[in-house]
Amino acid sequence: MIRRIVTIPLLIAVFMVFVFALQDYETIYQDSARLFYQTFGYTLTGSLNLVTAIYLDFRLLDTLFEAGVLLIAVTGVSYIAQHEQVEHNPLFMLDKFKIPELFVSLARVIYPIVLLFGIYVVFNGHLAPGGGFQGGSILATSLLILYYIDLKKKTNLQRIFTIEKWLYLALLSVSMISFFTRGVWFTNFVSLESDVIVKSIFLITLNLLIGAKVALGLTAIFIAFLKEGR
Amino acid sequence: MEPLLTVIVILIGMYGIISSDTIIKSVFSGTIIESGVILLFLNLGALQGGMIPITDGVNIIIVDPIPQALMITTIVIGSTVTSLALILSIKVFHNNGSIAWKDITK
Repeated sequence: MIRRIVTIPLLIAVFMVFVFALQDYETIYQDSARLFYQTFGYTLTGSLNLVTAIYLDFRLLDTLFEAGVLLIAVTGVSYIAQHEQVEHNPLFMLDKFKIPELFVSLARVIYPIVLLFGIYVVFNGHLAPGGGFQGGSILATSLLILYYIDLKKKTNLQRIFTIEKWLYLALLSVSMISFFTRGVWFTNFVSLESDVIVKSIFLITLNLLIGAKVALGLTAIFIAFLKEGR
Repeated sequence: MEPLLTVIVILIGMYGIISSDTIIKSVFSGTIIESGVILLFLNLGALQGGMIPITDGVNIIIVDPIPQALMITTIVIGSTVTSLALILSIKVFHNNGSIAWKDITK
């Protein structure tokens, strides 16, 4: 109780700090970077979607480390989740809710549609809203729907981890090719003068790799949680 | 005005972390703080208003794409960190038989 009473003045103090810090919030903001990306983003990277242009070309190193963080987190989750005890009821989460037949039949209809939509979002990441991370999450959702359809299905977690590690290596090597073609690390490997359609090959490749990696990573995390039914 | 509202969301998360009884509530308070930070950044990018940042260089006003690109990173990392914290809390439950802070820190 005392702790909560002391907390409130502290939080008010933090709020006042924010109020003073955000006073000239609108004058601090500069739009020079936005104007640069708006003017040159499409011609330099071949991506209509400027967000994709930033995270796959201008700031590719950010994305690589982010994918690395995802890989490390998935490895950590799988390492912490492993145990010697016999799993009494690995499907306890599904048991509790007694999945109705209607849900399973609807899931059978929805599953291919969600899968197709995810692939569409991954492939059009440079032209429309979307990209590897968003499409990967949608793909992971469709894989989880598959889990509801066939409860007895066994998944080999170890194989998922192996594929994910190889995908991360592929991601690193594709983004390093630019050193041999352009002389710069971690950017598009197609030369700057070429057509925007040729440049988009790089974007589609990276979006595909990231999409597959995110989908497998999220599925692995979900399965690791599901196996906690001991 | 809007940035201060997002600050209030962040403060609600901080209060949740300080006053929560169990690990799960602390983890979700962290997620609330993360949502506040994401809102603050997206608000910063859209201060002057504008269309979605999908353009080939024609002269229209768009929102700033940089905070949006950074927030994709934040969302992915936030979800992975949350999953790590939750699986650790499961481990703590199996070892101590409880996830209440006062039972763990005894």
